[in-house]
Amino acid sequence: MELYDLMHGAGLLFIFLGIVTIIVAGIGLFRLPDLYLRASAVGTSAGLGVASIVIGALLMDFSGLNLIKAAVAVIAQLLTSAVGSMAIARSGYLNNSMPAEITHTDDLLKTRRDLDADSHGEPSR
Amino acid sequence: MSTASSLTSWPWRMLSFLVWYAKAFVLANVYVTLDVLRPKKRMKMAPAIIAVPAASRSDTEWTLISCLITLTPGTLTLSISREHQILYVHGMFVDSRESLVGEIQEMEDRMLRALRRSPGDLRRPIQVPDVEPVEEPPGGELGDF
Repeated sequence: MELYDLMHGAGLLFIFLGIVTIIVAGIGLFRLPDLYLRASAVGTSAGLGVASIVIGALLMDFSGLNLIKAAVAVIAQLLTSAVGSMAIARSGYLNNSMPAEITHTDDLLKTRRDLDADSHGEPSR
Repeated sequence: MSTASSLTSWPWRMLSFLVWYAKAFVLANVYVTLDVLRPKKRMKMAPAIIAVPAASRSDTEWTLISCLITLTPGTLTLSISREHQILYVHGMFVDSRESLVGEIQEMEDRMLRALRRSPGDLRRPIQVPDVEPVEEPPGGELGDF
């Protein structure tokens, strides 16, 4: 019975950690200045939040089958959130969403075809 | 190439990479969380997009390293250039070019050592090449630079 209580508590802890992570990610969505910061901070934090909730649920209701399900869910969740953030950021860059002012170096800008030709900031669409 | 010693150390290298990555992942999470919650004036953010020379060769390695970079909160792969061996990484806390490049390359070194049976060559282009816009797209009207 003791082990059961322990796992139940740990499960609750993980679920609450996940909730906090998602809430912080939501706050970050408002507070961060541009698309790339949001994608990098929020995309993966939300992935971690969901993963943490899944792990918490697994601990509260542990069985061999659930272990497999949870492992698949966590891996898929982390992979898709990473690929999703990359896709969003990349398409944002291709669609001329410029990084915020505080971005001090931008190496990718040098490789741009459209901005290079007419060197003023507004690219032709 | 695959000597017995490199084969026996393979699982060990994999395990140590996983542990190292988990630690880096959690630390980055804490760091980003703290900065998001900090009052605006004291935010330590210094974002930058840096070209990082990479040692990856195969499709698997490129995919994995860019996913791992993106998965770490605070860093994000924007684009890669396989022919120039460059990862374009957006970092959230970039004090200097070298610090981000070092961070990413350490991760890549560890990943490649865990992924390959024997580490093989980890050479990277020493200097970031000047990537010029290419005029390949059909109908691209802005060829000259």
